[in-house]
Amino acid sequence: MSEKIPIEAIDEVRFRIPRDERRGMRTDVVVYASREILEQIRKDLSLEQAMNVATLPGIVGPSLAMPDIHQGYGFPIGGVAATDWEHGVVSPGGVGFDINCGVRLVRTNLTRTEVEPRLRELVNQTFRDIPCGTGGAGHLQITEKQLDEVLVKGARWMVENGYGEPADAEFAEEGGRLDGADPDKVSHRAKERGRPQLGTIGSGNHFLEIQYVEQIHDEAAARALGLELGQVVVLIHCGSRGLGHQVCTDYLAQMGAAMKKYNISLPDRQLACVPIQSPEGQAYLAAMRASANFAWANRQAILHFLRGSFEKVFGKSARLTLIYDVCHNIAKRERHTVNGEKRDVLVHRKGATRAFPPGHREIPAAYRQIGQPVLIPGSMGTASWILVGAEGAMKETFGSVCHGAGRLLSRTAAKKGRDARQVLKTLEEAGIVAKSETRDGILEEIPEAYKNVDEVIEVVHRAGLARKVARLRPIGVIKG
Amino acid sequence: MFEILDHTADIGFRAWGATRAELFANAALALESIAVDMSDAREQEPYPIAASGEDEESLLVNWLNEVLYYLDGRRVVMRRFDIGEPAPFQVVGKAWGEPRDPARHPGKLVVKGVTYHLLKIGKDARGWFAEVYLDI
Repeated sequence: MSEKIPIEAIDEVRFRIPRDERRGMRTDVVVYASREILEQIRKDLSLEQAMNVATLPGIVGPSLAMPDIHQGYGFPIGGVAATDWEHGVVSPGGVGFDINCGVRLVRTNLTRTEVEPRLRELVNQTFRDIPCGTGGAGHLQITEKQLDEVLVKGARWMVENGYGEPADAEFAEEGGRLDGADPDKVSHRAKERGRPQLGTIGSGNHFLEIQYVEQIHDEAAARALGLELGQVVVLIHCGSRGLGHQVCTDYLAQMGAAMKKYNISLPDRQLACVPIQSPEGQAYLAAMRASANFAWANRQAILHFLRGSFEKVFGKSARLTLIYDVCHNIAKRERHTVNGEKRDVLVHRKGATRAFPPGHREIPAAYRQIGQPVLIPGSMGTASWILVGAEGAMKETFGSVCHGAGRLLSRTAAKKGRDARQVLKTLEEAGIVAKSETRDGILEEIPEAYKNVDEVIEVVHRAGLARKVARLRPIGVIKG
Repeated sequence: MFEILDHTADIGFRAWGATRAELFANAALALESIAVDMSDAREQEPYPIAASGEDEESLLVNWLNEVLYYLDGRRVVMRRFDIGEPAPFQVVGKAWGEPRDPARHPGKLVVKGVTYHLLKIGKDARGWFAEVYLDI
């Protein structure tokens, strides 16, 4: 555990582990946390892992830990690391198995009072239309040739083929499609695993929640996002399913030999990495981008089916409009100012969200004045947040913030002494209808298993990395 | 024979075997039973299964990756493994199972990948053991 690691306070929300703390560290670790959250963080291996990340060849700036950080494998979840584009490395572990796991937020033209009387019907309909996929395939079956097109075009393929509206592709990070994807760098196995799963949510912490706007903290930003108090929104949290998982597995298996070739040794095998400019590095990035595009297509397909569910329950007047879509497991080439100098870096965001400030050209014109929307899902049945990126993120964290609440309890600990029926009843008493494909799905994701998302948000808000816009409360939950 | 290990975000298992072959079989069964409710799974058809690695650890990870590929890619659940004693860094065997049927083998957790995180394989007083964490 990380309790013995000396850590110094920079201020109330920033802490540092200096690079001379351990041999091999090339840079400091900077942790964003309150004192209370820091005490929780020290109970697992996440700070050790953030120190391991600091040993990556070509790392630029500090190894960063967000307040939702928890122990992962190789990289901590909630970690950010930028590496030099010419001389640094790419680490598949810095992206994770679920490439472009992310969050999509959709606003409806319905209010809580309109939805609540038919909530159970809506949850059941959505559950039928959008499978989680723990057992079987999704409702959208495409050919191998179409899959290759999806891997290049991402969400746009869905829109062009009738699974969406033109604006859907605009309101997403990267427009729902990364350049430089190569389907030939994705193995047959990855395609075989992923193809039947398009349009499914997955399990673990992935979910679809029907929520309403409970608090507004920034009126102007909320107006720009089309949000009002009491309005119903839907939050979709999922990723690239088996396709991305297999891509990560395939490339990790090749990295061992490649690391010997490039003479790289690291304290943790799961951190495996190769030079960005090596053939292995370029191949991984081309496959990773294809997987990212698959994930955007997946979230787009889910939005399409969701529109159908709302129409079946509320009729044709129900309108669902995409607010934004962010990825929180990704590595992207970006230009950042480091020590006053502009540099091209590969930003690894492992459980971290891009948070570009107002005025950035990557933000859709409609939101450019307020900053990039940052979507933070909380734990099942608690609250989620909409933030907007702030200048501090650009100065300190390569334009990144947290991605969720962060787990506190293991799955076994979460299940101990609880039964699913009781948990469902408690949720129902709080006005939440939940439906899960599996019995354990509900138990393992109970709110008590997570840090308090409000405290996590408070840290990034106070640190000036992002600003609070609205707090969302769930009324309907669908999960694997 | 195996037991489940705690991890904050994910899940792990410790498996044993009197021989290395038995360890690899039990590790495969641990992965299957974390992903799927196996109580109704039948030993209907044989499936060839093999893996290799550059050392003991990568052999185990690659072996479990094969099992996971059958589970999530080929959609096959396997409940018995006949494995010859593994050669150095190589394991070859046959598994008995059947195509996945969501009605009879309800899914429990989607396993995304097999990790090297805190991975252990070796011998103790009871024979061979391994500890593996899965990303879910």
